[in-house]
Amino acid sequence: MVGKSVSMAVSLGGIQMKNPLNTASGTFGYGWQFESFFDVSQLGAITTKGCSAEPWEGNPAPRLAELPSTIMNSVGLQNPGVASFARQSGPYLSKLDERGCAVICQVAGHSIEEYVRAVELYEELAPFASGLELNISCPNVSAGGAAMGATPAAAAEVMRAVRGRTRLPLVVKMAPHDVAEIARALESEGADALSLINTIPGMAIDVRTRRSRVSRPTAGVSGPAIHAIAVRMVWEAHQAVRIPLCGIGGVTSGADAAEFILAGATAVSIGTANLTNPDCAPRILAELQDWVASQGVNDVNDLIGAFEC
Amino acid sequence: MASARNELHEFEVLRNEELAQGIWRLVLHAPRLSEGIRPGQFMNLEVPGDNSHILRIPLSFSRADAGAGVVELVYAVVGEGTRRLSQMGPGAVSTLVGPAGHGWRLPSAGPVLLVAGGVGAPPVIAAAEMLSLAGLEFDAIFGAQTAARLWGPERAHDLGARRVAITTDDGTAGVRGFTTQAMERLLATEEYAQVMTCGPLPMMAGVVRLAQASGLSCQVSMERMMGCGFGACNCCNIAAAHGGYKSCCMDGPVFGAEELAW
Repeated sequence: MVGKSVSMAVSLGGIQMKNPLNTASGTFGYGWQFESFFDVSQLGAITTKGCSAEPWEGNPAPRLAELPSTIMNSVGLQNPGVASFARQSGPYLSKLDERGCAVICQVAGHSIEEYVRAVELYEELAPFASGLELNISCPNVSAGGAAMGATPAAAAEVMRAVRGRTRLPLVVKMAPHDVAEIARALESEGADALSLINTIPGMAIDVRTRRSRVSRPTAGVSGPAIHAIAVRMVWEAHQAVRIPLCGIGGVTSGADAAEFILAGATAVSIGTANLTNPDCAPRILAELQDWVASQGVNDVNDLIGAFEC
Repeated sequence: MASARNELHEFEVLRNEELAQGIWRLVLHAPRLSEGIRPGQFMNLEVPGDNSHILRIPLSFSRADAGAGVVELVYAVVGEGTRRLSQMGPGAVSTLVGPAGHGWRLPSAGPVLLVAGGVGAPPVIAAAEMLSLAGLEFDAIFGAQTAARLWGPERAHDLGARRVAITTDDGTAGVRGFTTQAMERLLATEEYAQVMTCGPLPMMAGVVRLAQASGLSCQVSMERMMGCGFGACNCCNIAAAHGGYKSCCMDGPVFGAEELAW
């Protein structure tokens, strides 16, 4: 294997990662579900499933449909609440942190008050967290009809409310629209990093029954088919802000991850591929490392944003 | 019964043959899986060759032989994924994730009434194997649209079923009608300790109603479209009896009927 001497360590807004690979929230459970498939501590970071201050039931069944090269989900952030999460998964996540894999915990909420409360609970109950990811872009929860971070002003308002509540690095998970404007608003309110993209709202209609194939009219589309869109949006955000980015969308190979890095991402999350090929992360990491070496550099940081028009 | 952890297994196809119209038997060489899998558990298979279909196919098994290292699945061709699965010939290799979920709980006493509808037959046959091994008496009802799509009664006979009733929608085998009608007839004359069922949702709802009306506990094997099959994505939820949801892949696929909302 080439690339043994290549430095893969990155800092995602203060979250120290030994390599750029992370996992997309909602596709990796709380981490321990994957230990029977590979040694999770090989990853630079994991991002745990979003949790809110209080438990959420999530959306009715069916929550999943399969489409060409994609799936669409309408889980609606089902979660046990931060306190139960910390009690159940805390011991595993503390050990994972000790094993050298950063733990990023995702924060969910319907309102500014709920985000603030969830952040405070993580501060109190999640000493294993190296950072928090603020999910202001889930397409499957209603908050007055739109995701909380749908406009630059609304995204900034959430960020302003939570910034003072934690000293942990704050990553903000962004929706797949108006990326440059919203990224600038978040940066100016103190976001340490941005992760993008969340799933793209889509529809799938059963024409026989005229009903949605999931329990709500729209759901979040993910998987290989959205990769090119996500790379473009990371590139747009990279041109708009100076804070680091985590690229998310349809990564199934080292080359897919490398595209995000060239477009300007410091870290890259594996999402849907975790579900379908639960042992894919170590392979993608090895491929990424080989690619860095093949580019004639000693440090992956030299390739961030190195895309040439 | 402690079961093995969900793991990624490589498998090789030994045989893949059509048993009845659209009903296929797949025999896999997967030694570690054959040792760990329990009746009612399932596995998530990858059918290679088409990257545009990204999800694995969750399938229950009908029989595992740890000595020979083989696992036998009976499945219905219902969509593109299972159609391509039916084209995997001897020697073809791929991967599966399993053993997944919680299987049938062994009843403490018999006799047990098994009720299978359509593609629900394989896990019911796995239950029959379990009962047979445990020396518990059982009767079995098999329903299908038509005789050509019926599978299971012979295996149930071979496993020592006391009675095997058959219903078909068109009357081409057994009695014309539904499994629930056959169940009512048996309940009128026979005493059972428990009911175990797998089949289409409306059928299982009917079986659960009849069982509960007779004061019988009932286990149901549920089916859901699955993202991962090991508790990471929360996509395979089922409405629970007292609000909220159960996870089909982690809490099931076999549930006590009283756990779910019908």
